[in-house]
Amino acid sequence: MSAVTAIPLRKPASAVPALGRTTLLLLAPGLLLLFVIFALPLLGLALESLKQYVPGRVGSATDAPLTLENYRELATPSFAGVLYETFKLSAAAALTGLLAAFPLAYCIVRRFSPRQRAACIGLLVMLVLLSMLVRTYALELAFGSVGIARPLLLALGISPTSRWYIETLVGAGLLHAIVPICTLTLLGTIQNIDPRLCDAAQSLGAPAWKAHLGITVPLALPGLVSAFLIAMTFAISAFVIPMVLGKGRVLFLSNTIYTRFSDVANYPSGAAVSIVMLVISLLALSLVSLVRPRKGAGS
Amino acid sequence: MNGTAKRRSDQVLGGAMIAMLALVLAFLVTPLLVTCLLAFDARSFLGPLPPPALSLRWFEKLVSLDYVATGLATSLKIAVLTTVIDVLVGTAAAVALDRGSFRGRGLLMAAFLSPLIVPAVVIGFALLLFLSRIGIVDGFTRLLCGHVVITLPYVVRTVLASLTGRDRRLTEAALVLGATESQAFWTITLPLIRSGMVTGAVFAFAVSLDDVAVSMFLTDPTTYTLPVALVSNMRASFDLTIAAAAVLLMAVSALLILVLERFVGFDRLLGQGLFRS
Repeated sequence: MSAVTAIPLRKPASAVPALGRTTLLLLAPGLLLLFVIFALPLLGLALESLKQYVPGRVGSATDAPLTLENYRELATPSFAGVLYETFKLSAAAALTGLLAAFPLAYCIVRRFSPRQRAACIGLLVMLVLLSMLVRTYALELAFGSVGIARPLLLALGISPTSRWYIETLVGAGLLHAIVPICTLTLLGTIQNIDPRLCDAAQSLGAPAWKAHLGITVPLALPGLVSAFLIAMTFAISAFVIPMVLGKGRVLFLSNTIYTRFSDVANYPSGAAVSIVMLVISLLALSLVSLVRPRKGAGS
Repeated sequence: MNGTAKRRSDQVLGGAMIAMLALVLAFLVTPLLVTCLLAFDARSFLGPLPPPALSLRWFEKLVSLDYVATGLATSLKIAVLTTVIDVLVGTAAAVALDRGSFRGRGLLMAAFLSPLIVPAVVIGFALLLFLSRIGIVDGFTRLLCGHVVITLPYVVRTVLASLTGRDRRLTEAALVLGATESQAFWTITLPLIRSGMVTGAVFAFAVSLDDVAVSMFLTDPTTYTLPVALVSNMRASFDLTIAAAAVLLMAVSALLILVLERFVGFDRLLGQGLFRS
């Protein structure tokens, strides 16, 4: 083996700094697909958002004048309300998710036996792969307004149709998806923390809570921040969860886009909301890459 | 702080942690168990647990519904076609991106992963506008386009991760021993990245089978996927037929998990870059 590595032999293609012909051929189908059914539609969307909306007409005319009217229309209290609702519930779910995921990830890495660890990771992977639709329906069935928990809620004096409860239910739906994602993300973070640091602090007399607060949490901070932002971007772009659990009373940005398409057929306005949503997601994700210096894929 | 107080606070913390974990796991699992139980409920209304008698009536009703059969057929066709296209195109792209450093490599990599950072609803709406402008109104083609866009990044990412993680000396050894580059690829590299391809394919299939946000925009009156049909039905009425459908969909997830565990193993799965943003 060592004789082989000693020979300064690299793959021939990597010797050329420009794109080789084989490389180009391999890339071509993917790039073509991305260009035609991803880049062009997004450009079209940006263009549509600048077109004038003619009531009663489905979509804009090709020669419609360009205008910023669709964006100006978004600076209204009702749209601000949707934006506020989306952010409030997403942030609440992401924070709660982090609070639940961190101890869970810690136990999986440090406390559990190999068998418990495998079972727990298996369950979490299944929950990540679980259909969003099944998740939403199961939560509705268990905690919804006609669900199994209804007698319990009524006994506790909680009205299952109150706005407060419906908001909580949407938050719970987001949480159900966020906890497995965050836990799996944090496993790596915790694995990279040297457990001897915490042990040392404890054997020198620090109680466990103090040792964790002073050592584990600060060391895991970058991982925690990026897990939070990942959860946040997931929640902001959630569609099925607010649509089904929110019953039309809790609207997210994504639901607004669908309504502009299906109910009022105001395509230019829907396009403007889409662009706003896209910008928000991009901002959140650029924060993620700021927090975590880029590493090579999978390293 | 003296020893007794420390021991007590440690005990309290440990107890609180276990209680919290139990609560979290209960929150994650209970709704799914409730759904499974109610899907076999013999009552015709939604009553308190546990069901007094079990039956398969909701499953019988489910298979008798026209929209379920139509939706399921479309969903499966789309998911299989999407996965095949993704694995072919995505693996080719990942192999190209792995072939050493050329100018613009980082940019290309970002381009291939970029559909993941655009919200699905935005992709669905943009595709709807674009495809109707160029005159494609056929539901099946539109759905296929949408599903390929949102799932391709999974395959590119997982295959790229397994390419980066492989032992390059094996390929080099084959080349030194006289294999041509394509021989080395088919006999050495491809078997080494199989786990990445399987993971990517499973995720692509699962995402395609479950998508609502993109598909809602791209269906036509006769071509719709199962999740879209179920969501519309869920909003219209609330009966336990959907619980039966949910149980079947959970079985599909479980099956996919088994495939992953069998061909990849969870430990390696975590190293494949799926859960790192």
